[in-house]
Amino acid sequence: MNKNIRTLENESIYIMRQAHRSIPNIAMLWSLGKDSNVMVWLAFKAFLGKIPFPLIHVDTGKKFQQMYSFRDKFVKKWKVNLIKGKCPSLSQIDPSLPPAARSAARKTSGLKNILKKNKFKGIFAGIRRDEQGTRAKERVFSPRDEFGNWDVKNQPPEFWDQSNFNYPESVHIRIHPLLGWTELDIWQYIKDENIPVVDLYFAKNGKRYRSLGDKDITFPVKSSAKTVDEIIRELQVSKISERSGRAMDHEDENVFERLRSAGYM
Amino acid sequence: MIFESSEMPKIVIVGHVDHGKSSFIGRFLHDIKEINEERVLELKQASEKRGIDFEYAFLLDALQDERDQGITIDTTRIFFKTKVRKYVFIDSPGHKEFIRNMITGASSADIAVLIVDVNEGIKQQTKKHAYLLKLLGIDTVITVYNKMDLINYSESKFKKIKLNLESYLNDIEVHCYDSIPVSAKLGDNISNKSDKMNWYTGETFIDVLDSYDISKNFNSEFLRFPVQDIYRVDGKRVIVGKIELGKLSKGKDLIFLPSNERVKIKTLEAWPKAEKEYQRGDCVGITLDEQIFVDKGNLASDTIRPPKLMNRFESNIFWLAEKKILFDKKYLMKINTGEYLVTIKEIKNILDTENLNFKKSKNIKKNDICEVVIHSHQLIPLDDYGFNKSTARFCLLDDEEIVAGGIIDSKNYPDQREKNEDTTKNIVPVNFSVSEIDRSIKFKHRPGIVWLTGLSGSGKSTISKNVEKNLFKKNYNVFSLDGDNLRIGLNKNLAFSPEDRTENIRRTAEVAKLFTQAGFIVLVSLISPYRSERKRARDIRPELFREIYIKASVEVCKERDVKGLYAKALRGEITNFTGISSPYEEPEKPNLVIDTSKEKVEESVRRLESYIENEFHF
Repeated sequence: MNKNIRTLENESIYIMRQAHRSIPNIAMLWSLGKDSNVMVWLAFKAFLGKIPFPLIHVDTGKKFQQMYSFRDKFVKKWKVNLIKGKCPSLSQIDPSLPPAARSAARKTSGLKNILKKNKFKGIFAGIRRDEQGTRAKERVFSPRDEFGNWDVKNQPPEFWDQSNFNYPESVHIRIHPLLGWTELDIWQYIKDENIPVVDLYFAKNGKRYRSLGDKDITFPVKSSAKTVDEIIRELQVSKISERSGRAMDHEDENVFERLRSAGYM
Repeated sequence: MIFESSEMPKIVIVGHVDHGKSSFIGRFLHDIKEINEERVLELKQASEKRGIDFEYAFLLDALQDERDQGITIDTTRIFFKTKVRKYVFIDSPGHKEFIRNMITGASSADIAVLIVDVNEGIKQQTKKHAYLLKLLGIDTVITVYNKMDLINYSESKFKKIKLNLESYLNDIEVHCYDSIPVSAKLGDNISNKSDKMNWYTGETFIDVLDSYDISKNFNSEFLRFPVQDIYRVDGKRVIVGKIELGKLSKGKDLIFLPSNERVKIKTLEAWPKAEKEYQRGDCVGITLDEQIFVDKGNLASDTIRPPKLMNRFESNIFWLAEKKILFDKKYLMKINTGEYLVTIKEIKNILDTENLNFKKSKNIKKNDICEVVIHSHQLIPLDDYGFNKSTARFCLLDDEEIVAGGIIDSKNYPDQREKNEDTTKNIVPVNFSVSEIDRSIKFKHRPGIVWLTGLSGSGKSTISKNVEKNLFKKNYNVFSLDGDNLRIGLNKNLAFSPEDRTENIRRTAEVAKLFTQAGFIVLVSLISPYRSERKRARDIRPELFREIYIKASVEVCKERDVKGLYAKALRGEITNFTGISSPYEEPEKPNLVIDTSKEKVEESVRRLESYIENEFHF
């Protein structure tokens, strides 16, 4: 393992242990994508083989079949406690959002319902700074108000591994242990640690998925990378952005910020 | 220069508002072709929508408010690679409203780029940021002089500003790695050598950056391992934490603080399998060969040079909140993994980063930097910032938020750790053949320790000598123990560091105790500046101990300066001089106060004499 990946691994483990120690009642989002698999793997490392909180799959009902079978296989294999959450129908979502974003916002509502029902005070989300401009502005421990909203203009200071955990009862904290990782780091780690991923990431007929979301708003990109090694080589030269196949990102300049301010991951 | 390819420096860009931080990063990334066409198109649309020229800064200023107002509000990061290695740029806001976001961003950087607009020159936040970098532990900067196009690429103007900035950086002990004149707007000297500044013989920004070596030598014979948590795994108690200094391996001896217990590492624990050795930065678990009580927030250390245990210390803090500092309030101090309730006892100085002058004031405003004295009821394991940065910095929280960050100066207060716990184990004291009460009856007074504390020159020895003489004439068994005299003999090997002062007081108190056992009333004249140490002296024989505060202010003592010591201390010839370069803590509840700035020596002597007679005469 190279020094950079080892540093990232240590940072993530530290954050997870800090969250477990400082926030009562936490859970981890497991979207079944490569990043959340890495996050689950890191949780095994942080808690020495047994994850002391549940994983949550917020199911839009529109994921790829391969993702569902992956989920069912690894729930058993990894012996994790999984909470499956449903999402409301599209008609209940803010109609002023562009179509793909509106579809993605179902997940925000689904998540809010789970948080409310289980009274979670902290939620791990596997977002990374290099994915998207507003995610790059995130804190590691990022408070959300009672409506799940992110007050992006007034974020708390965070330095020297220290954060505030003392918020009003209605606030929950988004915990972001992967903020510092890049897409390439994630794949390098998947290789180093032999972490399983859904095979949609590997090229078939000249195309592969770089990022996985709902099947109706996620599209594959041109690629010939059939193995993890080939993906790593491809990413070292690629000029295409990771989320280019995610329709919701490209509908309007402010749409991602709108989604995230309202509680999207 | 060749670097390990996995090294990834984090570079924070700081400087005054509008000096071009975000634009500089945007331009740089564009020049090295790190922005793909997709992004360029997005940025173009975002710029056009707002009716402005193509704006590189939008690459980082991703928030709608930032783009609409043309400012950076929060810190962000962007990843890129040059031909040499990968990097992270940390952009930070230059507006003073958003200093806490700047600190959030800069605190994890390896090196800083300080940007100055040569057309505007050095501004308030240029200096403030530079000073904050120093407090954050970043002691090297690359200075970038931006907007050279606006001053017609003038060498003389560049040199003038450079000289000023370098002298400031020199004063605050921040090292300047290199200085580069650039135009972010036009791309001069960023990745391409400018043809408009032939007088500049240095390298472009990218070459300077690529030549900077961030590899640090983290080897240390000492160890700091703060306990983050304790897990029970397969019946084992596993202590987990991150190594902040040194290395861990099986069999290593540790001291846990504050309990001060010694123990050995039995095993290292990790999933799926532990390595043989772990080093600085690694998160690892350990088990111990003996079950001792360890809690979250404890600090494990090597046995050679453990941290000091302190309940009062000095610190440089930066205040981040709108609220005022409250002196009677308990703040939560988070240091490493530990949490302690503390109070801010005193603000010694406020620093004006503009001219580096200190001023005295009790009013701290948001973003002020000041020196404070902090008190705690619990003992806190502390390192000095000069010894190891990562275990010598902390933040303070009130009920709602982080209000301050600070670094520790442990030099002026003593260590409270009990060191010789085992040496007296096999010693059985011998009983006296004559009891204390027999002696008292014979001498017609009880024994006592009359402890005179006060600044050098306050009048302790003068009063003590006279009282001794008078009481002796009245047939008292009385003896005067003088700090200066003891330092000639018994305490000859001790200097004036907090530790040596502590030992000086311990020995003096033990000698005083022997005198009380012989039935004497002992007059001890000793500056004894720390409350904690005077309490220890009192604890040796609390029923016989009387604390007398010989009161005179530093100004009065300086004026008297019988021994010429204050003059020497003020010239810097004596270090650790109480009242000048070392603290004096006034007694909180002395048994008697003698204010020598208000009364004559005869009066003071008379008062102490009658106090002693009242207290100890049968």
